[in-house]
Amino acid sequence: MSEIQSTRQATAVQELGRRPKDLLGRPWAGVAMLLVFYLILIGVFTALTPFFLTVKNLLSIGSNMAFIGLMAAAGTPLIIAGGLDLSVAAVAGISGVIVAMCYAAGIDIWLACLIAIAAGGLIGAGNGALTNGLRLNPFIVTLGTMSIITGLSLVLTGGLTQPLMIEGFNWIGSGRIGGSRGIPVPLVIMLVAFLLIWWVMAFTPFGRYIYAAGGNPEASRMLGIPVDRTQVVLYVVSGISGALAGVIVAAMLGAAAPDSVGRHLLTVIAAIILGGTSLFGGRGSVWGTLLAVLILGTLNNGLTLLNVSSFWQDVTKGVVLLLAVSLDQLRVRSQG
Amino acid sequence: MAETRILDMTGIGKSFGGVPVLSNVHFHVDAGEVVALLGANGAGKSTLMKILSGNYSRNAGAIAINGQIYELRTPADALALGIRMLPQELSIFPDLTVAENIMIGALPKSGMHVDFRTLEERAAALLKRMGLDWLSPRTRMGDLSHHVQRIVEIARAMNGEARILIMDEPTASLAADEVETLFSIIRRLQAEGISVIYISHYLKEVFAIAGRIVVLRDGRNAGDFRTGSTSVDEVLQAIVGNRVGDLYPPFSANAGGKQDDVTVEGLSVAGWLRDIDFTIRRGAITGVHGLIGSGVETIGRALFGGSELRATARRVTIGGAPYRITTPGRAVAAGLGLVAAERKREGIISMLSLRENMSAANMPLFTRGLIVDRGKEERTVGDWIRRLTIRARGPEQQIGTLSGGNQQKVCLARWLLGNLKVLILEEPTRGVDVGARQEIYRQIRQLADEGLGILLISSDAEEVAGLSDRSIALAGGRIASTFEQPVLASALMNAASHSAVAA
Repeated sequence: MSEIQSTRQATAVQELGRRPKDLLGRPWAGVAMLLVFYLILIGVFTALTPFFLTVKNLLSIGSNMAFIGLMAAAGTPLIIAGGLDLSVAAVAGISGVIVAMCYAAGIDIWLACLIAIAAGGLIGAGNGALTNGLRLNPFIVTLGTMSIITGLSLVLTGGLTQPLMIEGFNWIGSGRIGGSRGIPVPLVIMLVAFLLIWWVMAFTPFGRYIYAAGGNPEASRMLGIPVDRTQVVLYVVSGISGALAGVIVAAMLGAAAPDSVGRHLLTVIAAIILGGTSLFGGRGSVWGTLLAVLILGTLNNGLTLLNVSSFWQDVTKGVVLLLAVSLDQLRVRSQG
Repeated sequence: MAETRILDMTGIGKSFGGVPVLSNVHFHVDAGEVVALLGANGAGKSTLMKILSGNYSRNAGAIAINGQIYELRTPADALALGIRMLPQELSIFPDLTVAENIMIGALPKSGMHVDFRTLEERAAALLKRMGLDWLSPRTRMGDLSHHVQRIVEIARAMNGEARILIMDEPTASLAADEVETLFSIIRRLQAEGISVIYISHYLKEVFAIAGRIVVLRDGRNAGDFRTGSTSVDEVLQAIVGNRVGDLYPPFSANAGGKQDDVTVEGLSVAGWLRDIDFTIRRGAITGVHGLIGSGVETIGRALFGGSELRATARRVTIGGAPYRITTPGRAVAAGLGLVAAERKREGIISMLSLRENMSAANMPLFTRGLIVDRGKEERTVGDWIRRLTIRARGPEQQIGTLSGGNQQKVCLARWLLGNLKVLILEEPTRGVDVGARQEIYRQIRQLADEGLGILLISSDAEEVAGLSDRSIALAGGRIASTFEQPVLASALMNAASHSAVAA
């Protein structure tokens, strides 16, 4: 009797000893770590400044990060599937320019938006054709298209900002759903995008192919999984997300500035990586990316409220990224 | 001059994860001797050589060099003792010069920078020893033909105090006259007193170059012959042994009468297969054996399509219906399944779960409307985990953390759960111990009995002969001969290796 009990205790102790490691090994452990980090961040800023924890401020974070979140949401499955799109922010830039130019040419503003989004999809298809058709490295291909598109935006506008003050259109960028204190429209668009992409990744066969294609493209091909088609579709989706982000930014600013989004590319990639997605493909989740977007946005916002210069904000962003990625690597390695 | 024993390995034992791969193996080499080390796949040749080159530690036994015992813990230890290994695959730097390629491990320096004059002088001296006087040390390595690159690699191995050179399948991709050049270099080294350990499957070559033949089988010594006083048959017998009876399941009485399910006419793959015809019978095992480089590597995947092979065929039918080689997706839809030899690289998606790996090839089966039917998927996967007794914590365990044998079972199950007519198995027992092998063979036979057509592709002649209702020997990209069972492994091996040298 006592023997049995002591054995039982021994196993209980063993299990207790093993539990933290087991917990770290769960697929959602990375996302949980981010959530903890996010809550700590909120706690710290709440303690440091009374302006931080207000509905108004939190909604403004969401609104300001929406266009970045949108691009990061679409970029996540692409990187998981083994691709990479560095041109996405440049696409956002030219998208605003296309809207402005079409509108100036007398085209209906909503049709102009559709044209811009179609152009984004087309650029994505071009990226996909070069990476998958010619088997070129996606880093190089999209670095090239990024440069081309950025240059074209400047050529088309002469580098000048084009005004776009149109009542219905500006609602996309600064409107609210549910009255004047409701949820910002960009935030709603971003959340819908996250939900949609999560649904596709979690519940459809296409979602399976995303993970398989990035996890081991050769094995996937031998199983009859359409690796190239999967990646090309995701490049198109990424292009569309860039174009949509461009429309939102143009609507927010009431103007199309050709160089307004390009500098946010690094934040987009940083959010995806910070969210636990492996640059080598096969691993990651869209909720990790969402948390990472919120963390980066909160960091920006909190430091601004504390009057930290924007130069230091870049430094902080980089430190947080390296810290998070190192911790995640240690976590994965501890699992052997 | 009296013979001096340069190398003496005694009582060598090695096991991986409790499975013995070498037990009490003795192996010695005299100075200036060329010894061939032979054995079937998994006999322990490479393990023994990796112990000698310091890449593996040993569990038992001693290694003496020139009569003195050494520990040989690291590759650096072995290099310092003059043991040099020539890998099976070329390992060259195409954009560096020949001299740099030869001296890369010991670049002479003057002050901070490389002393190019000494570098080229030493390289030139080594090239001269190889009989490559005509070759400028400044030539870019990538501009040389394959077999000259091979010889430069040997020159690199000879740098410093080399005493023993291990060559693993050095002729695998050489033409007949190039093999002759290689042999003349080996003889030259021999005359200098350097010993060569020569690993090859090509018996004709072995008899031409080696003075002595040492055979391993299942990790034990199985024969030691002077080439002058033995025969090909005697050596083959030692390689194959006679344990065939208990390892393989009995043949099914009616397998021979079954219908052809797949007919292939004029299958070609540039550089690999030349216009071959064969059939795969429903309910029977069709085996294909060939040596490395014979086309045995590509025959299965050629049928499957995709990849960079660009296979073509005049006519293929599956179950009477015409089939065109295009993409693996089409092959799967037509009822073909392939279990690849390189499981890590082409079989499993290691970071995904057992469940996701098993269902990946047949997602349409588990899709209702737009979404995946998780309930059905989990039931089917659970079913197959039980049927194949896959040992895992559960369907959600990452497949990369399963043992090799259990990963292989998942790779099988992923086809069996679908609409499979023909299963193509590439090297199904590579790196699998004898006990697990028997289990795999039994399962393959059972699948055939259940009505599948099976194409078994293996560089292990014994496996093909022991299991197949019909065996095909492949050599030089063509079918050398076809045997109905029963066939002796040695006959199959003979057909595959003899014609290869002739071609």
